[in-house]
Formats: sequence, C-alpha cells, structure tokens
Amino acid sequence: MPTLSIEPLGQAIEVRSGQTILDACLRAGIWLPHACGHGLCGTCKVDVLEGEVSLGDASAFALMDFERDEGKALACTCTLLGDVTIEADIDEDPDAQLIPVSDFIGTVTAVEDLTHDVKGITLALPPPGMHFQPGQYVNLEIPGVTGPRPFSIANAPGEGDKVWLQVRRVPDGAATGWLHTELRPGQQLRLSGPYGQFFVRKSRGGPLLFLAGGTGVSSPRSMILDLIEEGYDQPITLIHGVRTQADLYGQQEFAELAARHANFRYVPALSQEPDGSAWAGERGFVHDVAQRLFGGGFAGLTAYLCGPPPMIEACLRTLMQGRLFEKHIFTERFLTAQDGAAKRSPVFRKV
Amino acid sequence: MSARKLGLKQRYALMTRGLDWETTYQPMEEVYPYDRFEGIKIRDWSEWEDPFRLTMDSYWKFQAEKERKLYAVLDSFAQSNGQTGISDPRYINAIKLFITGVSPLEYQAHRGFAFTGRHLRGVGPRVAAQMQSLDELRHAQTQIHTISHYNKFFNGMAEWPHMHDRVWYLSVPKSFFDDARTAGPFEFMIAIGFAFEYVLTNLLFVPFMSGAAYNGDLATVTFGFSAQSDESRHMTLGIEVIKFLLEQHPDNLPIVQKWVDKWFWRGHRVLGLVAMMMDYMLPKKVMSWKEAWEIYFTEAGGALFQDLARYGLRPPKYADVATAEAEHISHQNWCTFYQYTHAAAFHTWLPTAQEMDWLSEKYPNTFDKYYRPRYEMWAQMEKDGHRFYNMALPQLCTTCQIPMVYTEPGDPTTIAFRQSMYKNERYHFCSDGCKDIFDAEPEKFAQSWLPVHQIFQGNCGGATVPDVLDWYKLKVGEDNLDFGQSPDRKTWDEWQASKSRLAG
Ligand SMILES: Cc1cc2nc3c(=O)[nH]c(=O)nc-3n(C[C@H](O)[C@H](O)[C@H](O)COP(=O)(O)OP(=O)(O)OC[C@H]3O[C@@H](n4cnc5c(N)ncnc54)[C@H](O)[C@@H]3O)c2cc1C
Ligand code: FES
Ligand SMILES: [Fe+2]
Ligand SMILES: [Fe+2]
Ligand SMILES: [Zn+2]
Repeated sequence: MPTLSIEPLGQAIEVRSGQTILDACLRAGIWLPHACGHGLCGTCKVDVLEGEVSLGDASAFALMDFERDEGKALACTCTLLGDVTIEADIDEDPDAQLIPVSDFIGTVTAVEDLTHDVKGITLALPPPGMHFQPGQYVNLEIPGVTGPRPFSIANAPGEGDKVWLQVRRVPDGAATGWLHTELRPGQQLRLSGPYGQFFVRKSRGGPLLFLAGGTGVSSPRSMILDLIEEGYDQPITLIHGVRTQADLYGQQEFAELAARHANFRYVPALSQEPDGSAWAGERGFVHDVAQRLFGGGFAGLTAYLCGPPPMIEACLRTLMQGRLFEKHIFTERFLTAQDGAAKRSPVFRKV
Repeated sequence: MSARKLGLKQRYALMTRGLDWETTYQPMEEVYPYDRFEGIKIRDWSEWEDPFRLTMDSYWKFQAEKERKLYAVLDSFAQSNGQTGISDPRYINAIKLFITGVSPLEYQAHRGFAFTGRHLRGVGPRVAAQMQSLDELRHAQTQIHTISHYNKFFNGMAEWPHMHDRVWYLSVPKSFFDDARTAGPFEFMIAIGFAFEYVLTNLLFVPFMSGAAYNGDLATVTFGFSAQSDESRHMTLGIEVIKFLLEQHPDNLPIVQKWVDKWFWRGHRVLGLVAMMMDYMLPKKVMSWKEAWEIYFTEAGGALFQDLARYGLRPPKYADVATAEAEHISHQNWCTFYQYTHAAAFHTWLPTAQEMDWLSEKYPNTFDKYYRPRYEMWAQMEKDGHRFYNMALPQLCTTCQIPMVYTEPGDPTTIAFRQSMYKNERYHFCSDGCKDIFDAEPEKFAQSWLPVHQIFQGNCGGATVPDVLDWYKLKVGEDNLDFGQSPDRKTWDEWQASKSRLAG
C-alpha cells in the first residue's frame, strides 16, 4: 500500500488503492477541510509536494488548469499512484510529538480480572519498547480474527517497555471474546502503535477535566499519571462513569493519588447502582455528575473525553451548553463497526 | 533546509493585519450603527475563525480564470446552436423561472452581503462577506449572460428584471430577499448565510443544475459548476456565523433560534416553486421533490441539527410540517399555475400520461388520490373546448405572498387559513409558520407589497387583466398560456422540420 505523508503534521498513513486522500485522512483521524466531498467546491484543495497522483473527477472550476500546473489536487477526488507527500491547510499542534508507528511482538506477562467483564492485559515489548504519548492507543492483532482492534494504552509513558490494556468483553465480540477466554501469560501477540491524536495539550496549561466511560478510563489513567509525575499543578478532575459498583475498577489507586495530590480530584459515578445500596458516592451519568460538580459552567477548562460514543455525545452537549467549546475539548471515541454509519455535518471539525 | 515559505495562515494574518482598527475621529458606535439593535452580543470578534484565508489577490486571479472558462463554453454553445440540442422545448420554461425568479436573488444577495460586509466589526466576517458579495454579483451576471442566448429564440425572458419587481408569483422570492435585506446584519447572515446558503441551497441549485444536465443544457450546467466552486466559501461562512453567534454569548441562542425558525419556513415556502419545477417542468426528470427533500433536508439537515443541538439549538419549528408537505407542494403549485396560465410568464401544460405514471410512482400516498383526478378532469375539459382558467384574483398570504392554496396539515382537501389582527386590521396566512412570522414582527409585515392588494388599489396599470399584464410587460399570446399553442413550440417544430429536411 502506498504511503501518504501529510505536512505540516509530519504524519504518514497507509492508503488503499483507489482510496481518496480525504477518505484516508479522515479514517486515520486527520481532519482536512472539506465540504461537498465530490470534487465540486474546492474546499479540500491540497499541494502535492512529492509523488504521482491521479486527480480524479475534479471539476474544472474547483481545480483550475493553472492550479493543476502548480501541483494542486482535490483531496476528495485525488488518489495515489505511489508514495506521495502533500501539504494541507491544517494547523500544526505544538503538543503533538509525531511518533512514527512501529510493529511489535508483545509477550503476555499478566492477565487479571479488573471486573466481571474487564481484563487487564500486560504485554512486555522487546527493547527499546514503545515511545508513546499518554492517551494514544495500539492496534492489536488477535489470532484467527480479521483486522486489528484498537485498545488504549493505560500505563504511563515512563513504562514504555510494556503496554497495559484494559479490555472490556463485548457481547459476541470476536477479538475481545478471544482475549477474555483464550489469552494466557507467555503467549505472543502482534501489535502496532502508537496511534491517535488524543493526548494532553500541555502547552495550554489551566485546569483539566477528564470524563471517562467504562474502559474509557484507560487513556485518562495514562495521561493523569504522566501529569502528576511531572508536577502539573493546576486542578485535575477525573469523573469515571460505570454502571454499578461491580463495574468499577481502579478506585483504590485513584483515591490514593487524590489523597497525595491536592490538585487531583477523583469522582467515580454509578449510573445504575440499585437505590439503597451502600454506595455513598455520586450517582448518575458522567455528564450529569459533571454538570452538578461544576454548577453547569465549564468555561476556562480543557476537557478530555474518552469512552463509548453515546457517552461522548452526551458530555459534549453538557459541556457546550456550559460554554466550553470545540477548541477546548478533545475526544477519543471507542467506535465500533455499528457507529461508523452515523452521518455528520461539517459544523464540528474534531469533536 | 531552506526557509519554508509562509503558511497560508501566517500569510493571511499579515495580509489582513490591522483591517479592524479602532476609529478615532468618530466613535465606533457611529461607524458601526447597526450591529447592536438586534440584541446579539459579541464579546470578542477576534475569536472568528476564517477557514478560507483567501487573500484578495488570489481571489481575483481565481475568479478571472473561472470567467474565462465559462465564457469559452458559452461561446461554443452559441456557435453550435446549443439551444437546438435540449431534450424538449418545454424545458426552457424552467430557465424562464430561473432568470425571473432566482437570478435577481443572486443580485439581492450581492447587495445584502455588501451591506453586512460594511457593517460587521470583525475583520474575518467582513472580508468573507465582501468576497461573497462579489461572488453573488458574478453569479447574477453569468446567469444573465448564459440565459441571454436562449432569450434570442424563446419568449418570457426579455423583461426579467421588470417582471421580478411586479409579477404576482415573483413577489414570493422577491419579498423573501427584501425581508432579509431590511433586517439587521446578523439576521441577514443567519437568513441568507446560514439558512439559505447552507441549509437550503442544495434544494435550490441541485434541481436546476442537474435538471439542466439531464435536459441537454450544457450552458446552464457550466455556470452551475462555476457558481458551485464559490459555494463552499458561502456554506462555510454560514456555518461559521451560527457557531460564532452561539459561542459568543448565551443570550444569542433564543435570538438565533427565532431566526432559524423564521428563515427555514420562509425558505421552504420559496422552494415550493423549485418543487413544481422539478416534478412538472423538467421533461427528463432528475428525482422527485420528495426524494430531494429526503436527501437534502431530512438526512443532511438532520445531521446538521443534531450537531447544532450541542449548543442547545433545536431543529426549525414546523420542520415536520414542511416534510409532510413535500408530498403535496409541487402538485398544489402546478395546479395553481395551470389555472392562472394567462398571468404567468412561462408556459404550462397538463402532465402526459407517462408523466402522471411517474408522479404516481414517486408519490404513492398522494398523487392518484388527490391530484390525478384533477388533471384528468382538466384534460377532459380541454377536450370539450372548455380549458379551465381561474379569473378570480386570489387571496395572498401576508407573509410568503403565495396565494392561499395550501391545505391543512393532515387534511389535503381543506385549504388552510390563518389570521391575525393588528391595529384593527385583519391579516391572512397560509400556515401556522407564516402566521408566527407575522405575529413576531407585525409592524414589518403589515407593510408588505401584496400584488393582489396592489392591483385592487389601482397601482398595477389598471383594473382589467390585460391592463395588469401590460404593466407586467408580459406579452399576451407569447409569454403566457399553454405550451401547446405557443410561439415557442412553433419555433421548435420549425427547427425539427428543417433538421429532418437536412437529414432527409
Ligand atoms: C481508539 C479506540 C480505542 C479503544 N480503546 C479501548 C480500550 O482501551 N478498552 C476497551 O475495552 N475497548 C477499547 N476500544 C473498543 C474496542 O476496540 C472494541 O470493543 C473492540 O474492537 C471490539 O472487538 P470485537 O472483535 O470483540 O468485537 P466485534 O466482533 O468487532 O463486534 C461484535 C459486535 O459487537 C458490537 N460492538 C463492538 N464493540 C462494541 C462496544 N464497545 N460496545 C457495544 N457493542 C460493540 C459490534 O458492532 C458487533 O455487532 C477502543 C476503540 C477505539 C476506536
Ligand atoms: S470537498 Fe468539495 S471539492 Fe473536495
Ligand atoms: Fe450565488
Ligand atoms: Fe452563494
Ligand atoms: Zn404563507
């Protein structure tokens, strides 16, 4: 498969034959400006710096002759004829480390039950290990299952000689089913990484809010451990939502961390805990608890949202109606095959 | 490594630096007198994101190149007598509707964006609005030039500016834009920039442009492409405006919501003309109006309003009513023009048997039940020598200015009537949507220039139909009446005859 390098990000992605640049970028989580999606409006214009492309069905008005001569292309119709480098009208992110993706063979060193349907999986990596930004994920290959599956890295980057994953078993899930029933210490699995744009924008400073749903606490754990490790002194709040006490894990570690660091607040929230149980903590969905805790006003924070798409959507509405907007919100959606089809408008670029 | 050339963003920042200076000879309030009375609160104009970052020098370069391309196509279209290659001469009537009803709106958009480009304080929206203003002028101009070729051979197009200002049904699109242009700059941006250019534009341009493509009208297709290459900027401006207003201050939400509700409904009413064009006036059909509504409003608009719900904005009020009306609106409009063919500047006809079958297939819930019998009756009357003309002047809706021909939601055999009292006068409306719009601003809509009222008041050339048509500059027997007996048809038949003479 040809490789597409995207400037000014300095990122490289694989592109299938016949796949457009726009499609490949969007699927890889790289947002390019676009509107019509079929070569008529010119919004997705990019510069081809190196390599051969086919311009596809670009309208003569959206991409004019002199622009073709200057090496412009429309990302939504353009396909690659080999390795290509483009420059797109996207902003550089000062906090992105641009770590190249590599392939690894990991050795399972531990498999533990975090709850009745979440397993903690530790994979030791051969030296020099994986350099990653906290918040990023790996693609894991599972024997007998077509296509790798994404899982977020839950350990801090200081421990790059391994990855610790928190894997929830999806009912009838091929990969998570195998991991829950077949995986044993000593086995070897192929993985690649690090992937994703979900990392802390440290250069912005200010108070941080982490909203996590279920195993969506994996990335935030890595991010928060890293922040505390390097002495981030602004307020950090983590709200971790699960259904019942039986679904909650990690609370001892987070509670201890909060006890030791006055700027870190940890709030587990249960949405389906039976009334009258011994649970004295917060009840309700993550977004409801956040609403209560912050009195409905979020301006001034930077928020990181991680977990299943419906939880992310509910949190986005609460945050935006509490006056925290796209510029200050970062998300990692644990998308699945069935979420892919939802039609989106161009109102929001990243969230 | 050699120094990298400046990024687009940096270049743009340098090019527009200081364009938003604070005035010193005059207070800012007097230099920008219109950006407060609507109640919109802007905390910080610099938060405006200009996604295009197009500089004026490259703007000119691009537009000049687009013109060159377009006029080359138009020249060759004229030289090769492209007008003889269209699918069917009835198609030209869609073009007549376009030049009299739509191209003048491009010009209105030009003027409206020039106004907002002058009166918004932020430099980003100001530059974007000024460029859009020039685009819209270019659209108007290129459309006039393109269609001027058809005007050499067919009737109904020569007096388009005059007609736009006077003819009864053209007051529908005209009053729509008059309303937007007499609003404040923020309402104009939501009305035209967002509601029209973003939410509804595909329902206006796709039908006309694909209609042209399906019916062999290469000239119109080409100006369509040329205009569409500007539209991304317009759509993006519309999106940016609504985001910006909603993010700037919580007090803006109810104001924006009110405008979204209003301009959605007004747009829906204007688009009824496009609906009729699509279902009845295109000899080769693209898709039905109902299908277009599903794709461009229900699906695309659904995704849009789902995203905007994050700000607390709801989908437009009466969107459900508009969707239900997609089953009826094209039929009710064409029936109206059929009855008033003597007062229309394009030709009408009864759908052929084949066309009626297509309509039955596309409108299984409504066509056979409510509209086919009407056409069959009129066909019988024509056969019997009693072609039906409606000689009564209709009552008009004070808001949308459409004759009161639409039916009650859920009851397609009862005409909908709504009314309001204002200063002891009674005003009439076609729908709850139009009544709500009036009730929110009665002092504005009480001044509407309603064509039928104006005729009765003696302001339209006289008291008889021929007097009024004369005042419209509508040539009786040439511009109006059924296609079957029209000079257009005669022209076309002569071309066909000479073609077959040449071939034979
Ligand atoms: C960037 C990213 C990071 C992720 N990180 C983590 C993580 O750290 N921990 C973690 O547990 N998961 C994580 N996920 C989700 C995880 O990748 C999926 O649950 C997994 O791929 C499912 O694979 P499977 O083969 O078991 O299910 P499949 O066999 O692919 O799916 C089986 C059926 O279940 C549905 N399904 C799949 N996943 C879910 C789900 N999550 N909820 C409901 N229905 C589902 C499918 O649509 C299908 O109908 C992440 C996802 C993404 C995109
Ligand atoms: S997105 Fe419109 S041309 Fe590519
Ligand atoms: Fe236009
Ligand atoms: Fe436009
Ligand atoms: Zn009305």
